[in-house]
Amino acid sequence: MTDKVTSCLLIIIVDTNPFWWSRKRRVNDQLSLTHCMDSVVVLGNSHLMLAHRNKLAIVAAHTDQSVFLYPRPPTEKVNMTKLPDDGQYNDFRQVEGQVKFQMSQLIAKDKEKLEDLFEMEEQPPPSDSLVAGAMCMALCYAHRMEKDCPIGENLSVRILVVKGSEDCPSQYMNFMNAVFTAQKQNIVIDACILDTESGLLQQACDITGGLYLKIPQPQGLLEYLMWVFLPDPVARSKMALPPRAQVDYRAACFCHRHLVDIGYVCSVCLSIYCTFSPICSTCQTTFKILGPQKVSKKKKKV
Amino acid sequence: MSKSSEEVLLIVKNVKNKKTDGTLYMMGERMAWMLESKNVFNISYMYADIKAQKISPDTKEKVQLQIILHDGSANTFLFNNPKSRQLQMQDRESVKELLQQLLPRFKRKISSELEDKNRILQQDPESFQLYKDLVVSGVVTPEDFWASRSHMLTSANNKTQPGQNVGVSPAFLADIKPQQDGANGLKYNLTADVIQSIFKTYPMVKKKHAEAVPHLVSESEFWTRFFQSHYFHRDRHALASKDIFTECAKIDEEVMKEEITRNANDPFIDLTHIKDQGIDDEYRGIVDDTRTSNNIANQAMIRRFNQHSTMVLRACNLTESSCVAESSCGDSVKESPKRCENDRKTKSNSLSEFNGNVSDLHINSTNTVYHEESIRKKKRIKEKLEYEDLDNREQPEGVILRLTHMDRYLRGPTPATNTTSSISNWASSLGDISPEDAIQTMSQEILTWGSCRRKILGGSSALAVLGELSPGGALMSGTSLQQLHQQVSPVTREEIKQTYNAMCELLRHFWTCFPVSSKTLEDKVTKMRMTLERFEMSKLIPLKEKVSQYHYAMDLTGHLEEMLRAAYNKFDTWQAKKHARKT
Repeated sequence: MTDKVTSCLLIIIVDTNPFWWSRKRRVNDQLSLTHCMDSVVVLGNSHLMLAHRNKLAIVAAHTDQSVFLYPRPPTEKVNMTKLPDDGQYNDFRQVEGQVKFQMSQLIAKDKEKLEDLFEMEEQPPPSDSLVAGAMCMALCYAHRMEKDCPIGENLSVRILVVKGSEDCPSQYMNFMNAVFTAQKQNIVIDACILDTESGLLQQACDITGGLYLKIPQPQGLLEYLMWVFLPDPVARSKMALPPRAQVDYRAACFCHRHLVDIGYVCSVCLSIYCTFSPICSTCQTTFKILGPQKVSKKKKKV
Repeated sequence: MSKSSEEVLLIVKNVKNKKTDGTLYMMGERMAWMLESKNVFNISYMYADIKAQKISPDTKEKVQLQIILHDGSANTFLFNNPKSRQLQMQDRESVKELLQQLLPRFKRKISSELEDKNRILQQDPESFQLYKDLVVSGVVTPEDFWASRSHMLTSANNKTQPGQNVGVSPAFLADIKPQQDGANGLKYNLTADVIQSIFKTYPMVKKKHAEAVPHLVSESEFWTRFFQSHYFHRDRHALASKDIFTECAKIDEEVMKEEITRNANDPFIDLTHIKDQGIDDEYRGIVDDTRTSNNIANQAMIRRFNQHSTMVLRACNLTESSCVAESSCGDSVKESPKRCENDRKTKSNSLSEFNGNVSDLHINSTNTVYHEESIRKKKRIKEKLEYEDLDNREQPEGVILRLTHMDRYLRGPTPATNTTSSISNWASSLGDISPEDAIQTMSQEILTWGSCRRKILGGSSALAVLGELSPGGALMSGTSLQQLHQQVSPVTREEIKQTYNAMCELLRHFWTCFPVSSKTLEDKVTKMRMTLERFEMSKLIPLKEKVSQYHYAMDLTGHLEEMLRAAYNKFDTWQAKKHARKT
């Protein structure tokens, strides 16, 4: 019994952006938010089922906040949606019930805010999903769980991002910081992309050694989740999984936001430009360019 | 007899080797040993193979000569002339002297460079392979090959060069064990090491040696006097004025005094209060040591011990500055013998002058001693009291970075296509959906969210996904193929690797010629072009043919050819330009 016990914590970050999901619904896509949540819950329960010590956390990345759907803080009273008693294992039921309850709370809160908005006539709420914030929360949670981990037990953590909406460039810095933190903490980030490719998550997965998968058929989400993302990174090497895609690490220039292969980088503020300009427009640094030295005229005649 | 034409320089009989008697022949190019009653050489050493010879010390009973070869092996000859030991010695001396004359002539000139190169080839299999491929096959000249590897050579040289200053053993004087030479004298065996040690510890002796040896006394005479002199012996109060070391002793005294003032001036240490007693009283049983030594001789000796230790310690710290001092010392040495010859009086005059200078210096310093000491004390106290890292020194503020477009900086290098969902144009991104609508739709959906576990994954979509994820499916492209390294046999892989290595080396030589700025480079680039062509014919094309036999899916030599083509193109354009310039 001297073997080190390893438990695995899976943190699932679900993009619950209501604008994106409702748009999906409008265009009659087969995948809906509830369907997605159901699939995620099944994945979570399967993960719990794999080993007794396995742990699970589900975080919703909403437009104005990130919320832990499961588990809730221990001080809070356990609220859960009533589920039909069909003999489901209690722990799984708890997961499902709590996730459903928190989701409905989240949307209800949005509705309240919307009503406030009508009265105040203010700026509409942002429509970006706070994936970076949710990742940071997940990292903090992972850190706490690692500290709480009893001696002799080994906790391996991975994060799965299920994302539909597009990348939010304004979160770039936070996102990258979270990714490098995860890399440092040996936390693998996987990404399951429902709609548009995410360059940021591609990089995140590549940096942390996770899997990035854009699924072609969203209605089969559960199968992708179970097939590709259920096995932990150690087991993945033994399986025939979709190959890693080549990640495009090219940067976009700051001036036109075009991807550039080779660009000019300001030596002061590290801004990237596609063409040379003598004054950096970000930090106003003036560059003196020393032209190539003039070749002396007295070139030896051959 | 082998090679009767060889000139025999010396024949020594009664030489034993491995307990059998024989005769030692010294010939023009080798030395040989023949067993008694035979006429074939049992042992024969070329002089070129001999690294060194060693002889047994005279004190030993056996008179022996050892030959050490370059490969590290050795052989010992015992001179065993039955007539007398004197003759044995004579025999050996004659052999030794002959060898002394002959060996340097045959000394194989293995330059250190060659050894280095050999070592590199032995240690680095990749270089060795390249050497075999390129140099042995005549594609590249050895000079070119090594020129590009000069960094390896120099780095190897540097590794061996940093010589550490070897210190001096504190007991080096005691280690010179005098030997009784039968008569009423002592014999000192001085090795170069010991002499070096003496010079290092006692620079004055070195100076004296440089002054006196070639002109006034012989080398051995100098050392005899050195050991005879009171300088070396324990009691130094009786100083004979005629002795050359008298001056040394005087200067030593000065040095001792200087040492005392220099080392014992820490204001925090009061040496006079330190008593010679154990920490634990019971340890020695004496609480207060009141014994003071009255014996001046003993005191003097302890002083000398201390001074000796100081000198030994200082000898290790000889830095470049001392080298400079030495050279200047050498200058004065050149002068002084002249003076000696001219007039003894001047010498003594200059000596007193020198002493006078020293004492002058001393007086001057005593005037400032008080002032200096207080400064030093303050400095020491400050050192003890203040800690740099506890200082709350304010860091000078750095240059502030003025960012005018903070947002683009925070956004990072993400392409423009992804910015559509930013706050400013959120409405357009959502198409025709207003936020109200969106949230209404969602809350509707949540309200109708029942438990529909059985409907999460439909059968048809599951089947479709299964197809995608199975080997050969849409998502699994590239994985069903065998990996390249499994396809290609290790032998072929190794061969391709070697070809790559060799060709990259050649191409490097080729590309280093550009820009072609001199005549030699021009020649070289033309030569390299020819070499590359030769390489293509002799190595690349056979390899390509061989690989094509295996029908690999990939073109394994394609890249090699590409690299060659690039080089050819470069050469052709260069040549075209050159011709254009000429006409």
